[in-house]
Amino acid sequence: MRFRTRLLISFGVVVMIPLLVFGLGIRREMSNRVTAEYTRRVDALVNVISADIARESDRIAARLAALKSSLVADDRFHSWVVRGENRGYVLDYAGDAMRLAGLDFLQIQDDDGRVVSSGHFRNEYDRLGPAVPGSGPALVRAATAESSFLALVTSDTLRISPRRFRLIGGIVVDSQFLARLARDPELAVGLVLPNDTTNADSGTLVVPLPPLPYVDATEGPGRVEQARIVVTRSSEFLTALRHNVNLWFGAAVLVAALAALLLAGWLSTRISQPLEARIAIGDLARQVNHDIKNGLAPLRNVFRHFAQVAREKPADLPQVFAERQRTVESSISYLETLAANYAKLSPQSERKATDVNSIVRETIGASGTVRTKLAEGLPPVSADALVLRRVIENLVSNAVDSLEGKNGTVTITTERGKNIVRISVSDTGRGMSKSELDKAFDDFHTTKPGGTGLGLSIVRRLVLDSNGSLKVETETGQGSTFIVEIPILS
Amino acid sequence: MYRYFMLARRRTLIAVLPVLTACAHPRIGAGPGGAGETRAAPEESCLLSTGGVTARSRTITIGLSEAVDPRHAPFARNDAERIVFRHLYDSPVRIDCDGHVRPGLVDRWEKDDGGHRWTFHLREGAQFWDGAPVTAQDIVFGKGGVGYTLAAPEKSVVALTFAKENDDVPALLGDPSLAVTKPAPDSSWPIGTGAYWATSATTTAQEIRAHTTRGDTLVFKFAASGDARDLLDAGVDLLITRDRALRDYAATLQNHTVVALPWDRTYVFVTAAAGSTRFDAGGLEQAVRAEARRAEGSSWWLDLRGCAIARDTTPPASTGQHRILYSRGDPTARELAGRLAALTHAVATGRAPDDFSDALAGGKDWGYVVALSRVTTDACRSAKDLPTWPASFTALVDTRPTAIVRRDVARWTVDQDGTVHLAP
Repeated sequence: MRFRTRLLISFGVVVMIPLLVFGLGIRREMSNRVTAEYTRRVDALVNVISADIARESDRIAARLAALKSSLVADDRFHSWVVRGENRGYVLDYAGDAMRLAGLDFLQIQDDDGRVVSSGHFRNEYDRLGPAVPGSGPALVRAATAESSFLALVTSDTLRISPRRFRLIGGIVVDSQFLARLARDPELAVGLVLPNDTTNADSGTLVVPLPPLPYVDATEGPGRVEQARIVVTRSSEFLTALRHNVNLWFGAAVLVAALAALLLAGWLSTRISQPLEARIAIGDLARQVNHDIKNGLAPLRNVFRHFAQVAREKPADLPQVFAERQRTVESSISYLETLAANYAKLSPQSERKATDVNSIVRETIGASGTVRTKLAEGLPPVSADALVLRRVIENLVSNAVDSLEGKNGTVTITTERGKNIVRISVSDTGRGMSKSELDKAFDDFHTTKPGGTGLGLSIVRRLVLDSNGSLKVETETGQGSTFIVEIPILS
Repeated sequence: MYRYFMLARRRTLIAVLPVLTACAHPRIGAGPGGAGETRAAPEESCLLSTGGVTARSRTITIGLSEAVDPRHAPFARNDAERIVFRHLYDSPVRIDCDGHVRPGLVDRWEKDDGGHRWTFHLREGAQFWDGAPVTAQDIVFGKGGVGYTLAAPEKSVVALTFAKENDDVPALLGDPSLAVTKPAPDSSWPIGTGAYWATSATTTAQEIRAHTTRGDTLVFKFAASGDARDLLDAGVDLLITRDRALRDYAATLQNHTVVALPWDRTYVFVTAAAGSTRFDAGGLEQAVRAEARRAEGSSWWLDLRGCAIARDTTPPASTGQHRILYSRGDPTARELAGRLAALTHAVATGRAPDDFSDALAGGKDWGYVVALSRVTTDACRSAKDLPTWPASFTALVDTRPTAIVRRDVARWTVDQDGTVHLAP
């Protein structure tokens, strides 16, 4: 793994882990707070609804009390009670009184519980009315001619002459009534009646209020059962909130990760480039030191020999010089070559229109070892002609060397690609293994005796400096193909 | 001031009272002249007592508390259409409140062949509103019934032939549905033969103006506000109502007289569920706000064997719902359905009049509250509106309308079917 990659991963981990921990913490805290706030609101609403129902019940009771006073003083009602007159007036009484009192349900029952006058269903007279408990609010499902409805009722009693009557009045309990009780749009108020088989949604939290007496009077007087007003809060809101939190959290993590990666990439580049340069310089310095020492060692030995002969046998000095001249020249030649190679590590190039085929022909000259397959009509590329020549020289040199003196061929092929010109240098030499290929472009890596190990490194840098690309296809024992792609001059 | 159908002459009242109480079935009364060529006698006994009228006003206003649809003419579907159509469209004869046959499009008749054949003569100058003469063919075309045939042997003679002898003047031709009309090309009102005419041009959402060739005008005014008391306050000369509250209000007005009209309508409960009518029909008159009494008298709908109507033998498939249907525009039917629903733990459901007729014909619901005319001149013809499935009929209540009449304005008379109209 390259140093730059390792640096990138390290930066990513360092940034992402705290970010994730921080985000998860915030998410959990938000969820807990929302749930707690929700629970608090539901509890508050339950108390408010209980108070509202009590207040509605008091209002109904107050209206019944007013009706009671009016009824006691009503002569026509009195004459019906005493003499059976004005039956039609009595039948219509509850209907008129119900509308005037702003009620939705009103019945006058006699002592036997039979309907004397009914406001919500005029013609149910003489039927047994709902057996509503004596005091406090109750829920009654009452019949009309066309349908039935639910009412919150209270009752009162009165006595006219010898007879005792009961006033039962109420208001309709419908979806609007329940919605008024709910107040909070995110909470719902519902009713659970004795025969209600509908189950609450599994995602719904149900908070029951204290039970109310309930009488189903649609088929008769009914019997007193228990009904509950419940506050339901759907988990949808909480789920949606958490979903939103997760969504935004995910988006934040994504953005942060992206930023972190970019930052890590930038930092790793900024840090790795000088480090790599320093490492390369260090390696180069050590290599230069080593190479120079290698070159100087024979010279030192020769001069030490010359000094000894001059001191001990000065007359033999010319003969010894002649014997050792070859060694000195060889060492000097080696050092010159070494200097020339190091100089090639920092080439100066000037990109201009260059004919690839011409460069190839100039480079290989009259070499009979190298074959060419040059495409006609290639467009000029944007490259320094000298740089391109060095690239081809190195690749051809390596290719020839890879033949290791055996029979084989080296072929240079040029062809046009999309916006590029492709130069391929193929050989039928020894090829490279995977590990050799991994190191092939490293500085000072060589598999050849006397090689400097800088050839392919130089090639790679020269190609990249020319905005080109370099690919290698190789197989051990089958040879290698180095493919250089240089952009066409635009 | 409220009076019970106060007749003009007390002596006549004594004579006619048994007749009125027997108005549950068609009265086939003999003409005042007996057999042979007959002309109707004056019908003073059927005049509403509304004070002395020396000269009728040129413009008379009648209040209407229900809608009137000209397309229904001449078949009235409510009290408002009944009074309007009666003034615009003539049937061959009219049956007065005593059951006597009175002239309409025909003004004389005679018995032939020992009562097997009756010959009716068109009145002189009988014509449509557009001036076209009325012929006997206009009367008999497409008409006829069970047990008799109608023919037009001459241009102005209608022959009514019975399978059996009929010594009394036949009232069959008094059926309002036999009123003669013909389509009007430029009006929604069919062209009639009555003294008053109306067209689309004389009809607005607020009123219908009908005119005579002599320049008299009859204004039928609707209650624009929906409150019929406004019509009385506006000074209409006649208002027919079944609303007791409106009647009570009119009784407080000094210039108006309140006259109870004959019991003209019977509400029956019709069901296919044999033996299911287990409710106490007693006291049902308290369930309605209209003036009502326990159903009395014979019921023409109970014996229709002679009508040879094809009847289904199997009851229709029920919807399974314990539902009682009523016609939505009829408050009395609604109240009765409500009471029956309370007694039987059923549900009352209103239907628009046409839908109600369809539902009744289908018979799929548990029960129906149906309003029937107490009297009919032709039971077999009226039976066409009854279900053909095997139904049981339970008479619930009789109701009657009330006439609220402005005093000293016009002379009003009432027919056997309870329709009030200007006296000829």
